[in-house]
Amino acid sequence: MNHGPLIFVGVFFALALSWFGLVFEPQLQLGNAQQATNVVNTAELYPQRRPGQAQQGLDVYRSLGCASCHSQQVGQTGRRYDVQLIDAGTNRASVIAALPKVVTNLTTVEAEKLLAGPMPQIILKDLPRLAADAIVAKIEPSGAKAEVKVIPTGPDIARGWGKRRSVAEDFLFDQPVMLGSQRIGPDLASVGLWRPSAELLLLHLYDPKILEKKSVMPRYRFLFEKRKIGRAPSPDALKLTGEFAPEPGYEILPTDKAKQLAAYLLSLRTETVLFETPMTVASVTVATNASSVTTNAPSAATTNAPPP
Amino acid sequence: MNSDPNSLNEPHAGEPKLGSAGAPVWLFVLIAMLAFWGMGFLDKHGGGFDPRVYGPYESSADLGRDQPVTKGSKRLNSGRAAFKIYCAPCHLESGLGNAANNVPPLVHSEWVLAEGPNRLIRIVLNGLQGPVKVDGKDFDSNGMLPWRETITDDEVIAQILTFIRMSPEWGHNTSEITGEQVTKIRDETKDRAVQWTIAELLKFSEK
Repeated sequence: MNHGPLIFVGVFFALALSWFGLVFEPQLQLGNAQQATNVVNTAELYPQRRPGQAQQGLDVYRSLGCASCHSQQVGQTGRRYDVQLIDAGTNRASVIAALPKVVTNLTTVEAEKLLAGPMPQIILKDLPRLAADAIVAKIEPSGAKAEVKVIPTGPDIARGWGKRRSVAEDFLFDQPVMLGSQRIGPDLASVGLWRPSAELLLLHLYDPKILEKKSVMPRYRFLFEKRKIGRAPSPDALKLTGEFAPEPGYEILPTDKAKQLAAYLLSLRTETVLFETPMTVASVTVATNASSVTTNAPSAATTNAPPP
Repeated sequence: MNSDPNSLNEPHAGEPKLGSAGAPVWLFVLIAMLAFWGMGFLDKHGGGFDPRVYGPYESSADLGRDQPVTKGSKRLNSGRAAFKIYCAPCHLESGLGNAANNVPPLVHSEWVLAEGPNRLIRIVLNGLQGPVKVDGKDFDSNGMLPWRETITDDEVIAQILTFIRMSPEWGHNTSEITGEQVTKIRDETKDRAVQWTIAELLKFSEK
């Protein structure tokens, strides 16, 4: 009846396996993560360390328990391909002739109107990738420039919580990472994008009902200080009106903690285009000049001979 | 059979003993099927354990297909960057030149689009002075700079020349130029210290 060693081995392997799967393997995968370059503007490194005040704001965010009601992870369930016209080129007539052939139900008049509008313009939405490529290939010979745009989709993105999904890279410099697990309030992964003003964020912290009538968020009035107006009102004072305004002669000033928290929230912006999250432009791969032209070029060289 | 309920020595009938019951076979079959399904799921949604693959992408190849593609060869695209640094100050980024300052255009220039780079490389290495006719217009070049000492990497010169000869933005589509071609002409002309004139250049074959 003495199965001690067997039980020990069983327990050991069960724990070791889960440690390998949940701790060791993720460390191998992501432990060496480094700043990545934006795939569109390759000079831009991402993520950058948060500015000092925002760094302190992370601690405020943590201490106030914001993460128990707000998550910081935007999900993505699919993607969509659109065709976007970037540049109408110089030969308008041929573009106008080419467009109705690829865009169904587009009359010549509408095509003219489209070209007159601001660029870039999305001309076709939600196509299969191959069809989008084919359409770009049909438009390009007319002299216009078109591109295939990759657009992340999903319920979170539809709610406007972010332009793309969150990836591990976004949290590289955060310690601890405030992913959150409940969404009693909206996701904050990109709050700096959809509420891009410290003033609005401070108003929301002072009394959430100012901006969102139905908000269930508690008021964080202890982050603010009510002060008698001195010689002149402070430029930092919240601009409060109606029922939210303090009695006359007083003003509401954000404390350092409130400013830090607002700076942290403003620094939450996940919009950089990374390799993990392609969301701008995928051009069609065409046979490049490089491969086809190694011999004499026919076109311009022969027609424009140097003067004798 | 023992009928004494208080007997401690003999077990009750039907009471399990150690080793008396085997595990049912179907349980192993079920576990094996679950493991198989789990592996299939990991294979489909694990992104090949690539840390850069997130849903909805299934593999790094899938992800790679959505990356922006730069058209044209690598040399042409490097040339575009170098052109902006060295050439665009005078010839402008559009390549149209600046007629007011006697800077001829590169777009549709017969010198740029020549069949071979023989004269073009010489112009870049030593510069050009005196009158020149480009694309039907006369320019009295007040002196294009020699780049022999400034750009010592022949590959960079080749990149720039490849760009101006093949730039899709300008509608050019001639041949690429290699670093070796530039090195060859650099060696041939290493004793020359002054800028070329058009009359001198025309003595060289175009190709």
